[in-house]
Amino acid sequence: MATTTSNATPAAAEDGSPPPEVVRHGSAKGGWFRRTGLSHLVGILALAFSIFPILFVVSASLNPTGTLSSATLIPREVSLVNYQELFDGSFPRWFVNSLVIASLAAAISMLISACAAYAFSRFRFKGRRTGLMSLLLVQMFPQFLAIVAIYLIFAEITELWPVIGFNTSAGLILLYLGGALGVNTWLMKGFFDTIPKDLDESAKMDGATHFQVFFGIILPLVAPILAITGLLGFIGAINEFLIASIFLRQDESKTAAVGLYGMIADPLTKNAQFGEFAAGAVILAIPTVGLFMYLQRYIVGGLTAGAVKG
Amino acid sequence: MAEVVLDKVNKQYENGFHAVHDLSIDIADGEFIVLVGPSGCGKSTALRMIAGLEDISTGTLTIGDRVVNTLPSRDRDIAMVFQSYALYPHMSVADNIAYGLKLRRMDKAEIEKRVKRAADMLELGPLLDRKPKQLSGGQRQRVAMGRAIVREPQVFLMDEPLSNLDAKLRVQMRAEIAQVQRDLDVTTIYVTHDQTEAMTMGDRVALMKAGVLQQLGAPQHLYDHPDNIFVAGFIGSPPMNMAIGRVDRTDAGVTVTFGGATIQVPDSVTAARPALASYAGRDVAVGIRSEDMEDAALARDAGSKARLTTSVALTEALGSEIVVHFPVDAPRVVTEDTKALEEDAGVDDVPVAHDGNIWVASFSPRSRVRPRDQVEIAIDQERLHFFDPETGLAIRD
Repeated sequence: MATTTSNATPAAAEDGSPPPEVVRHGSAKGGWFRRTGLSHLVGILALAFSIFPILFVVSASLNPTGTLSSATLIPREVSLVNYQELFDGSFPRWFVNSLVIASLAAAISMLISACAAYAFSRFRFKGRRTGLMSLLLVQMFPQFLAIVAIYLIFAEITELWPVIGFNTSAGLILLYLGGALGVNTWLMKGFFDTIPKDLDESAKMDGATHFQVFFGIILPLVAPILAITGLLGFIGAINEFLIASIFLRQDESKTAAVGLYGMIADPLTKNAQFGEFAAGAVILAIPTVGLFMYLQRYIVGGLTAGAVKG
Repeated sequence: MAEVVLDKVNKQYENGFHAVHDLSIDIADGEFIVLVGPSGCGKSTALRMIAGLEDISTGTLTIGDRVVNTLPSRDRDIAMVFQSYALYPHMSVADNIAYGLKLRRMDKAEIEKRVKRAADMLELGPLLDRKPKQLSGGQRQRVAMGRAIVREPQVFLMDEPLSNLDAKLRVQMRAEIAQVQRDLDVTTIYVTHDQTEAMTMGDRVALMKAGVLQQLGAPQHLYDHPDNIFVAGFIGSPPMNMAIGRVDRTDAGVTVTFGGATIQVPDSVTAARPALASYAGRDVAVGIRSEDMEDAALARDAGSKARLTTSVALTEALGSEIVVHFPVDAPRVVTEDTKALEEDAGVDDVPVAHDGNIWVASFSPRSRVRPRDQVEIAIDQERLHFFDPETGLAIRD
């Protein structure tokens, strides 16, 4: 088929007639649907599948009746009353808690993981393999398993040093850091391994210290993986419920996830506050979406292209 | 500027692999020295030890008047050009070149001045704002050079800087690097596996094999007086022709017999190689370079030269010469050295008729020989080389 097309084109050009576009189209098997329609259909299905819950929550948050039973996909009435009530309550406090905890946990975990990954990727030292393997092994157990132990440890800590005990953001951040370290380190180590070691050595010859090599040369090149781990860390922390619900009991120290759950947890009132809950969920999504859109430009590959030949 | 002295430098890895064995070289101030050898011969390891990227197991390394064994790279005042160029991809060409100066907290105006000077020297001016990925291979290579030059270090180290370029560019950059080195007069240690680069660029060449220095000297000296079969086979393209021959002592002097010809060894050769006489009645490895053979019909003073009659297997007309391949009816020389050479040339991968011993001669372009012709070849017996077939060492005294 390709032969036919390539034979036909120069002939058509010679006698001045337009190239036989129709022939070329016909030669791609299956026509329009196979070539573009199918992928559009799959895209639309995926979109519908993921957008349905979002639409439902947005719609519920705008429903002034504010109950689960009255929520519909297309709101009958639209009002911002749920948002108003939400901001009159404890939600602003929870929201700030969530933002602080998620941002700090994501940023610090990113930095620590990057340092660890650099060491694992570049240096050869005793215990390197063991270290990597233990990180992987520890990661295989769900954090859920550790909850009892964590509870007991922090019960003790709260008495001795309440600054990082229960009901503090600092304590929860510490906890999240430990949880994310393993995955992030492995993820980053894999990425660091793709940065040619020649670059480190070249910078070293240029007179850079390890510190300067790391911050001046390597970190800018691993921006995509930093963005991804940062984003995942942020999403994980801002959505985390289980540990936060055990850790944060006082109303003013709660994160938005814990606080919002409290609104619908009470069997007596859960139906009544559903509109507020939905409004809170919508607001909570904003920072995540915003962060994603900001980081998107860093999440591009090919940044190392041109470092070395090939 | 400084001299570099390696004194019995060894590199032994933890797994026991001995990469560099008792390497001793005195490199003079401003000298261009080339470390050459097949891959895995330890030349890059030696360079990396000088750079401070590898520890030195034993021995001392002196740069200038300092022993630098344990000094970190940044304090050795050396610059290195990598095979992969290792440009920082997120920095512009100007920033790449200036990076080393910025790390030294040099004055901004001075940095700018130096970057400009280096850029002018390497004709990088219009490219200063580009990123490495927007450059061609040759341009990247220049930037890597610029990064080294701008630091004005005591020593340049270059690790196969041309091997990623295509053939034509390589020839051009070869001349450019040699020119830059001469202009700056900086001590330079250059690693390559390409004997042409070694021959053309270096003031002296150090040929290594399996971590051991084989011979150190001016390129022409290595070419004319190879210490062993490995040097003879590695330096020069095509490599030196070799065959097993038999040495005899007659009334007229010493003769060597191979391939159906008995060649009278001239007195000048026996005088330069007094030990040759003691090989009488024994086999030796006879070597001759391709340019020391000529079509007997064209050779000047052909009458005085030894003759070898054979049939032509293949001719390659290069314009300036005709390269003639022909079989020689004499056993091939097989030693550790020749095996290493074959491995380096990748002969194992190519289906070559291993039983035959094919020699290569370069004839004058006026020669009319064709494949399958019977031809008489005049050999310049003054230029014969002799090696011990067991040890591979040159037979001298």
